[in-house]
Amino acid sequence: MLEIERINVSYGDLQALWDVSFRIEEKEIVALIGPNGAGKTTTLKTISGLLRPFAGEIRFEGLEMDRMPIHKRVEMGISLVPEGRGLFPGMSVLENLELGAFTAKGRSCKEETLEQVYELFPILKNRKKQAAGTLSGGEQQMLAIGRGLMSKPKLLLFDEPSWGLSPLLSKVIYEVIGQINNSGVTILLIEQNVRMALELANRAYVVENGRIMKQGNSRNMLDDKHIKEAYLGTEAV
Amino acid sequence: MSRHRNTILLSIGIVIFLALVPLLTKRNDLINLMVLIFLYICLAQSWNILAGYTGQVSLGHAAFFGLGAITTRILWVWGTPFLLAFLTGGVIAVVFALIIGHPALRLKGIYFAIGTLGLSQILKITIGNILPTVADLPGDYIATYTLIPRYYLCLILAVIIVVVVYLISRARLGLGMMAVREDEEAAKAAGVNTFRQKIIALTISTFFAGLAGGAFAFYHVSYYHDLPFNPIWTFDSLLITFVGGVGTIVGPIIGAFFYAIFKELFVRTFPQLHVFIFGILFILVVLLLPGGLVEMAARVRRLITAKDKSNG
Amino acid sequence: MSLQVFAQSLIFGIFVGGLYGLAAVGLSLVFGVMKMLNVAHGELLMLGGYVTFWFFSLYHIDPFLSLIPSAFVLFLIGMGLYKGLFSPLAKLHEEVKIKNSLLIGFGLSLVFHNLAIRLWTADERSVSVFYSGWGFSLFGLRFPFIRLAGLVLATIVILALQQFLTKTYFGKAIRATTENWESAALMGINIEKTSMISFALGATLAGMAGTVVSVGYAIHPAMGLEWTLKALIVVVLAGLGNIGGAFVAGVLLGATESVSALFVGPYMEVVGLVIFLLVLELRPQGLFGKRIG
Repeated sequence: MLEIERINVSYGDLQALWDVSFRIEEKEIVALIGPNGAGKTTTLKTISGLLRPFAGEIRFEGLEMDRMPIHKRVEMGISLVPEGRGLFPGMSVLENLELGAFTAKGRSCKEETLEQVYELFPILKNRKKQAAGTLSGGEQQMLAIGRGLMSKPKLLLFDEPSWGLSPLLSKVIYEVIGQINNSGVTILLIEQNVRMALELANRAYVVENGRIMKQGNSRNMLDDKHIKEAYLGTEAV
Repeated sequence: MSRHRNTILLSIGIVIFLALVPLLTKRNDLINLMVLIFLYICLAQSWNILAGYTGQVSLGHAAFFGLGAITTRILWVWGTPFLLAFLTGGVIAVVFALIIGHPALRLKGIYFAIGTLGLSQILKITIGNILPTVADLPGDYIATYTLIPRYYLCLILAVIIVVVVYLISRARLGLGMMAVREDEEAAKAAGVNTFRQKIIALTISTFFAGLAGGAFAFYHVSYYHDLPFNPIWTFDSLLITFVGGVGTIVGPIIGAFFYAIFKELFVRTFPQLHVFIFGILFILVVLLLPGGLVEMAARVRRLITAKDKSNG
Repeated sequence: MSLQVFAQSLIFGIFVGGLYGLAAVGLSLVFGVMKMLNVAHGELLMLGGYVTFWFFSLYHIDPFLSLIPSAFVLFLIGMGLYKGLFSPLAKLHEEVKIKNSLLIGFGLSLVFHNLAIRLWTADERSVSVFYSGWGFSLFGLRFPFIRLAGLVLATIVILALQQFLTKTYFGKAIRATTENWESAALMGINIEKTSMISFALGATLAGMAGTVVSVGYAIHPAMGLEWTLKALIVVVLAGLGNIGGAFVAGVLLGATESVSALFVGPYMEVVGLVIFLLVLELRPQGLFGKRIG
């Protein structure tokens, strides 16, 4: 569904990604793991259109996306739940969700999708008139995810969904992500909590220093010695 | 290095030539035009120091020009020896700058720009109300008025300020200022005392703006007291500097030259056309050619030498 | 000084303050969406006044009736200006973008100023309609119709704008872009189009204020700077991006200026400017606003 071929991305003079290639099949959950600053967020930003690669190709459902502006990619079915939630703090929960359905596709079944989101996250319904900036961390993450769903995406990108959340809340969020995948949405997520990511995902890629270092079935990776040492070793039980 | 030496020699030659002009011609209109050019050079270069070198776009330049003008004029008309009145004008401008300097320089970017604009307007309205009349010269001053001393004063002032800008650009001071312009946060992190740089730039800039005002007061026989406080002087500085090439030494000189010439050319037919033309050029420069005419000249030169290389 | 003089001053101040608010709202809207300060805003207001003047002198259309076509003209001009001058700046880094937009606005203001002199001469112009002198009196205080109408118009327009921003999808898109443009883009909002429409709207709002000024007061080519400063003062008072607050702050400014004229006469403008500088210095986010950047 999504093919990333040898993309190279820079922030001004600073190169962040070198010849990064990977693919995602429909209905999969794929994880990008790796240390801070490795280029995971950069990758998501490039897929969503916030950044443009100076070399390489991105193909979504066969279509080349390099020149496509951000809003067009959303219309095509790519939705990003950004790092730090990226909510509209002064606007209400409901308005945030409505904005998620901004595209024509989203608006056509807005009420239906809204009900689905409320089912997934009942607390959002309770707080629908509240300003998004006043929600707790967990609620904000739920709102961000709910908002991402409103455009009825085919591919949903998550940037650190468990960031700043308690282990319990993270578990809840991850369960929800699993549910979303079950309903037919392809997922690409990046995550610092490697264990959680690997336990949910089908496949994973390890990104280090702007390059793909390793890839494989996530079950295998959980057993991999290098990964265990580098990312799972010092984890508290 | 020899190109550099050539430039200096050329400059000295030009200055000597300019110094001889009043001896070579009796045409007052030509001399008046040159005085206008020199005044514009002073106005623009002094603004350039703050904006071009430290990146602080001030929209209040007219305030300092005005302060210099009014101080010089009043002191001089009351009997103070001119040179003393002249220098005092510059000093008063600096004093005012230092008073508002600390609060003003704390403002970032656009706030600094609109803040200085507001300040300049306050001054203009205040002066316009305290002294709504025309600043006339007493009879005996008019009787002894000759153009030549005005010419030389403005020439010398223009030369001095160009030399000052040149020295700044080459000294450590200039590097510090330009670091502030490029990236203030990075400069701070690198240990540059950015506030000190800005205050120094502000001091030099306003001192020369004040002197330029003093020269204006010496040159013009009669004008409304609040004229030198009018924002058009600020706008002139911006137009000239940007179109010529902000942050360069030669830019404001070239800009001043063309600005004055256009002004004189159209004074009978379309009095404000030079502002209109420069306004459009200004917009084009900001959008397309940030280095102004200086950059354009450099590009043309590169094009020519590239052609030569491929031919020869 | 009698209460009547004071009250009359206050009333006139409120009338003109409504226009200050209307002018400021346009500026605030544009800054919120594009993060650019258009210092040629006053010239757009002036343009609105002159367009009204043209409709009146050439076709004898009442200025309040020509509001719609006049608004349309300003909207088109705004779109054109955005596409040609401000759109290329959109991709720049925030600080450079703000600085360059300031400069472009500055150049534009000079160009418009001179264009106006060329087209309409430097003389003051005014639209004189048959009801220009009409008004009513209440408790011995004078309420000229036209100035009152100006205040009513400003109120209606701003309320309509509020409704637009809160009830329509595009209005919400504008607010979203103001709060977080990257996220707004991720929602499928076309930022370029949103910016262009916002700028055009800003121009239209300025133009409407200009229309009222041409009827109730007078217009001349040099008025741009004056009105830009007024709008800037109000915007800074209310906080950049605060629409509702801009109207209130505008009325406050107008009232303050007018009343202070009774005490300090010709220095009344200085009062506004001093308040402006104080707010810039002590509370740049405005009296009602939140911090930018």
